[in-house]
Amino acid sequence: MKPTEQEWTAPRFITPEQLDQPTSADEPYTPPQEFAPEETEPEPLAEPLVSAPARPPRRRWGRKLLGVSLALLLATVVGSELYRLLEWSFALHPLAGGLVSALLAIAGGGLALQIRRSFKGLKQLKASADLKQEAEQLATSTGQGQAARFLSRLQQHYRTHPDAEQILQQTHEVDSSYSDAEVVHFLSRHALGKQDAQARRCIQRHSVEAGMLVAVSPWASFDMLLAGWRNLRMLNEIMSIYGIAPGASAQIKLVRSVLHNIAFAGLSDLAMDAGSTLLGTSLTSGLSARAGQGLGAGLFTARTGLMAMELCRPLPAAGKKQTLMKQISGDLLKNLGKSGS
Amino acid sequence: MNLTKRLQTLAHKSGLKELPEQVRSRVERGLEQRIKLAITGLSRSGKTVFISTLAHHLLHADQGTSLPFFTPSAEGRILSVRDLSTEAETPFPLQSTLAGLQATPPHWPVSTEQLSEVRLAVKYRRPPGLGRALGEHSTLYIDLIDYPGEWLLDLPLLNLSFEQWCQQQQTLFADAPRVQVAEEFLELQRSIDWITPSSDEEQARLSRLFRDLLQQLREPPHSLSLMQPGRLLMPGDLDGSPLLYLFPMLVPLPENAEQAAPDSLYARLKDAFERYKDEVIRPFYENHFRHFDRQIVLVDCLKTLNQGEACFNDMQQALNGLLHSFQYGRNSLLRRLFRPRINRVLFAATKADHVTANQHHNLDRFLELMIQDARREMRFDGVSTSCMALASVRSTEAVQAKLDGQVLSCLRGYRKESDEEVALFPGEIPTELPRPEDWNDARFRFIDFAPRALPRTGLKPEHHIRLDQALEYLTGDLLK
Repeated sequence: MKPTEQEWTAPRFITPEQLDQPTSADEPYTPPQEFAPEETEPEPLAEPLVSAPARPPRRRWGRKLLGVSLALLLATVVGSELYRLLEWSFALHPLAGGLVSALLAIAGGGLALQIRRSFKGLKQLKASADLKQEAEQLATSTGQGQAARFLSRLQQHYRTHPDAEQILQQTHEVDSSYSDAEVVHFLSRHALGKQDAQARRCIQRHSVEAGMLVAVSPWASFDMLLAGWRNLRMLNEIMSIYGIAPGASAQIKLVRSVLHNIAFAGLSDLAMDAGSTLLGTSLTSGLSARAGQGLGAGLFTARTGLMAMELCRPLPAAGKKQTLMKQISGDLLKNLGKSGS
Repeated sequence: MNLTKRLQTLAHKSGLKELPEQVRSRVERGLEQRIKLAITGLSRSGKTVFISTLAHHLLHADQGTSLPFFTPSAEGRILSVRDLSTEAETPFPLQSTLAGLQATPPHWPVSTEQLSEVRLAVKYRRPPGLGRALGEHSTLYIDLIDYPGEWLLDLPLLNLSFEQWCQQQQTLFADAPRVQVAEEFLELQRSIDWITPSSDEEQARLSRLFRDLLQQLREPPHSLSLMQPGRLLMPGDLDGSPLLYLFPMLVPLPENAEQAAPDSLYARLKDAFERYKDEVIRPFYENHFRHFDRQIVLVDCLKTLNQGEACFNDMQQALNGLLHSFQYGRNSLLRRLFRPRINRVLFAATKADHVTANQHHNLDRFLELMIQDARREMRFDGVSTSCMALASVRSTEAVQAKLDGQVLSCLRGYRKESDEEVALFPGEIPTELPRPEDWNDARFRFIDFAPRALPRTGLKPEHHIRLDQALEYLTGDLLK
């Protein structure tokens, strides 16, 4: 490569009047510049193309078609039935007709509200996943100055949270000298400290309760229902701790992602948990089979909760998961041992 | 009752009285309750400021406001920190150093002339977990030693004979810029008859000339680092002592050395060198430089960029040479009790506040360039190392300026010399060694800023850069 005229920016003094006060939201940009075509050279390494995930379009189409037609059919059936109900009630007596139509209106309004809420929750979940992806990218970068956009997005995300003031306060504490990775680490450790503590307490309480319930429940088939019920309750609580509207569809989405993660991405965690489980077996040998089942249910609940916490949190985990798992299994063993003796 | 009394007197007589104290310190060290942190750096690399601000921030760590990346402080597990420096033989003048930084207008401390010590006791709460079995509360003692950076460069002499040292110095003085500056002195040395009897006065006169020469080389525009013997420049309590009548022979050693008269200049210098080693360097090394557990190496990279390639090479050589004087390696439990080795090293580029924040990563990389050889050897010994750009005191403010339609990140601060306010875009730091033609004044213009006042209370993260991360790296694993 032949030396170009100047590869660096020369230092210079600036009169203080030229200065702008920095605003953290301001992001530095690269100015546009024109080049003579001869000066350019081909990029040595092509950026890997982001390939769109290959999906079988036909099957999807078929499924969509099925879904839409079924929904239309259902809507027609329900609509016609409702119409017949209205007609019948009006024919019976105008007062009865009025009553039925009022009830219908109230039910419709409630349904719309629920749908809106659940969509809001879905949107928030998506936003938090996006933020997290961006944070993970920033955490591996060595640059500086790109985090300003992330910060303002995070502030936007938590504007309506009950503890918004405290969270925003922490985002203002970010120091001007931090690199992008440091900004993410700082926020991950400090911005959601209170929420993290709450969520951990919630997970711990629920897992111990679920474990105890399963251990003392007299019917084996009842266990699964109990554990599932407790898990749903816990997910709801975790969602509201992190300021995500706990609507039905958001909840379903979260349950799906949690199960998906546990089934596929959680294998390494499972391997790590094997350590604590092994420790458990030596200690649980004295416990009854039912207590062992309780321990399993409690640990499963804990893992579900931690996964949900990770999904609701817009920042990468700060690495306290292992200690929490250990703590929970310790708590469970203590409680089960007490109840067993 | 009577028996214990008799035992006590017996112990007193046999000098066993100090034994419990020694045993306690050994045991604490073995359990990593006491660490000695080596603050290593050439002169003017910021050791004193680092020590005093570190102590200042630690003493206020219980408030948990200024060290967000220092886990125990951020988690609120530090109960209190006490300054035990008065127990040391020569306590570090913490209050007066801090007073200078807190004054209006604040000023940097003067260069250190004596060895001194800081001892801090950090009382902390263990995090929940297995560690709690040892008790909920614990105390970590941190020892820091401040000394003139010039003395450090004497340590490599311990492994050299007079002849080897002279040969090293001869190669040094064969290159620019030393050879030009020392022209007169070299001429003088060539005219000396080394093996005929000489006098004390002659020896003293020549050593004074050599001292002046070193002083000249140390100042800008040369700003060289590798100056031996260091006590010539910073004599401490040896000012005027005949121990310092020492300088290297910069001309070829006499061939008929065995015929040299016992009081010839050659024999005298050889004798002076051995005495200097035995009476000056060795006690300094044995008493203070052997038992370190962790090390931080402070390097002023900006000085080398300002001064050019010769300064860079010289500092690189000096650093790599002196790092050989420390013992590195992993510590087993027994080893930690009796002969600890340094098992964790942090290389820190100081004055990170003198460049814009987007250059910090480049500063890291440039530091890596400078210490890559030493670092490679440490890694071989299984020592974990890290590089970091930090500033113990923040002396500038990050601002932006619009220039030709471009937004430039700049610094605003007060000049060190004149206290006038300046705004400066200080240039970019290269991540590769610049080519010879690139070392020029137009490219780098890092000026020295005066510090901004350090508050007495209410410390915030904005008063330092990455001091907390350095502390976390060096001690974080012990506060568990």
